[in-house]
Amino acid sequence: MTANLVNILLGGIFHAAILFLVAAGLQVVFGVQRIFNLACGSFYALGAYVGVTAVRAFTGAGGSPALFIVPLVFGGLLVGLVGVVVERGLLSFVYDSDEAFQLLLTFALVLMLEDVIRLTWGTAPYSTAGLYLVYGQVTLLGAQVPVYNLIVIGASLGIAVGIGWLLTRTAFGRIIRATADNREMAEALGVDMRWVYAKVFTLGTALGTLGGALVIPTTAAMSEMGIELIVEAFAVVVIGGLGSMRGAFVGALVVGVFRAVAIAVYPALEMLLIYLIVIAVLVLRPRGLFGGAAV
Amino acid sequence: MKSSRREFLKAVGAAAVGGGAVGFPAVARAQARKGVPSEPVKVGVLAIRAGIAAAVGTAGLRGTEWWAERVNKAGGILGRPVQLIVEEESNPKDTVERYRRLILQEKVEVVLGGISTGVTLALGPVAEDMGAPWLSWDGTTQKGVEETMPNPKWAFKSVDNEFEAIVAAVLTAKYFKGIKTVAGINNDYSYGHDCWETYQHVLRRYTPDVKFVLELFPKLGVTDFTSHIASIQQAKPDLLMSSFWSGDTTIIMKQAAAVGLFKTMKAVFTTGGGVHDSLKKEFTPEGLLLGYNSMYFDDPKGSALLKQFVREYKAKHNEYPPYECDHAYFCAESFKAAAEKAYASAGQWPTKAQVVKALEGIEVESLSGRRSWRGDHIQMCNFFQGVTTHKNPYDFVTINPVEVMSTKVAMKPAGGKLLDWINATFPLKG
Repeated sequence: MTANLVNILLGGIFHAAILFLVAAGLQVVFGVQRIFNLACGSFYALGAYVGVTAVRAFTGAGGSPALFIVPLVFGGLLVGLVGVVVERGLLSFVYDSDEAFQLLLTFALVLMLEDVIRLTWGTAPYSTAGLYLVYGQVTLLGAQVPVYNLIVIGASLGIAVGIGWLLTRTAFGRIIRATADNREMAEALGVDMRWVYAKVFTLGTALGTLGGALVIPTTAAMSEMGIELIVEAFAVVVIGGLGSMRGAFVGALVVGVFRAVAIAVYPALEMLLIYLIVIAVLVLRPRGLFGGAAV
Repeated sequence: MKSSRREFLKAVGAAAVGGGAVGFPAVARAQARKGVPSEPVKVGVLAIRAGIAAAVGTAGLRGTEWWAERVNKAGGILGRPVQLIVEEESNPKDTVERYRRLILQEKVEVVLGGISTGVTLALGPVAEDMGAPWLSWDGTTQKGVEETMPNPKWAFKSVDNEFEAIVAAVLTAKYFKGIKTVAGINNDYSYGHDCWETYQHVLRRYTPDVKFVLELFPKLGVTDFTSHIASIQQAKPDLLMSSFWSGDTTIIMKQAAAVGLFKTMKAVFTTGGGVHDSLKKEFTPEGLLLGYNSMYFDDPKGSALLKQFVREYKAKHNEYPPYECDHAYFCAESFKAAAEKAYASAGQWPTKAQVVKALEGIEVESLSGRRSWRGDHIQMCNFFQGVTTHKNPYDFVTINPVEVMSTKVAMKPAGGKLLDWINATFPLKG
């Protein structure tokens, strides 16, 4: 009984850990730039593919399988730099445009990135084969838990703490929060908005690509994997509150754990339950659990 | 956007034809038979190129290209070289539009392809309407398990969707005696639901007291089954059944291995052979039942044709071919045979109506063995399933023993209700 409970809860928390990274990327970008970046899911997929490529190159060059996590994280973070290109090359032209237009642009990005992935890596599922299993399992209260899942959960928690520290304890964090609060005022006080935007967007992108890279050993990369996740990330930000980092954290946990419980108790409710929560939040607290707070 | 995509597809089609053009010198020497025009015979192909089934669509296209190259090297059809015109299968509406374009603008003699039953269900009536032969690779015109076009003239359809679930149930009873409880995980759309329903009905005919303790229907395209697996662990079935056929097979296998799921239960993957070479030994255990649909690349009794195909496919694409290649090869080869048969009686290049007449009941040698079209235009062939083993030279699992079951034995004949037929037929005698 406890073993089952542990399995179900950890399954949910593992899902939440990945969801948090993607949703956090979405939130930080929206909080500062007021752009709802649909392409966060595509960055996630991109990170997954680059992660597999990096790991394959690493093991192909004779790297120890147990160290695969190093090229994985490195590849996932590095491809986050594509954020600079997207922000400077595309988004910087539309900050003054209508929101619907911005949304369309990021949606166009979703379609383009899906094609880029297909042209680069082909259409067959792409994976790191059995590397997922090299860290083995531990027994927690009678349940067999893959060690790698715990690493991902730990990494995600660490990143959450790191972002919290960055936003509240550093000068850059203060600038980000000031910008989110009042862009004109921040600009008037001498903040170079272009620089802040480029950095924030890259941070948001890197969170997504890292999420994709971290999840990929447990699964297989498919070109449309991002779209699946955007829907859930959307639920996370509605529940947590648009633009709020704490909201992303709590929202991801709510979605991940409730989904896991639904699958265990009454599988037909899997996604319906999430939408019911979304509806309840929209009716009772339209700004989300943590909405309104700056970033 | 649309026109540029078409241009792109044209380029792809040209590339496919370019592949065929390797054999052109030989074709040039071949003379068109008496009463046969010398220009190439245009063959339309619809292949999925994006999304979850893109790998399957690609395999079908590769099978067709291999066929075209081979036919052209041997002098074409009645001396006419084959030219493939490739279009994309996507959603029903756009695919129907492309199908019309192939017939009306490209003036193809036949259209091959169609994988998703969601699409082919819409394509069937259009083929009847347009009056041109359409040979489906993998799609049927079933709504659920009910046939919607019992007497088609122009549409030729794939094996009934639920057939592999029937084979799997028969083999479950044979290999996993004493199974008391079964859980199912299938994709949340018609194919997944129908396979699960049919599997239960057939298995009950063998073991009436079997209990079905859990049914999960994740959406197509889910990449995290951790929670589903937790739910299966909780239900503790003796056996897990799944009709997954795409990358999700690989994913659930890996995530199941991470928690040792198949140490405590048996499993049946009715259609997992669709992604067979991604089922690595590291995470795919021995002793599972695995289905390869209509072609098993490593069939020890396989023909010389199969062996040649597997060898050349591996050399060209660095993969081992999945079953869709054979659906596609059969459709193309049966068209060729029908054109030749109709020519024999007509004395000139046959009309489309003469071709479909000749197609009915025709039997040809395909990659997996002899395959035919039943009188009501359904593909007849063998399906291959077996027990996974690590004893092979590959880094992925294969099956041994290989069980071969014919659609003549275990697929519902034309007409009648599926359930009545199951009750009357199973358990199979002998």
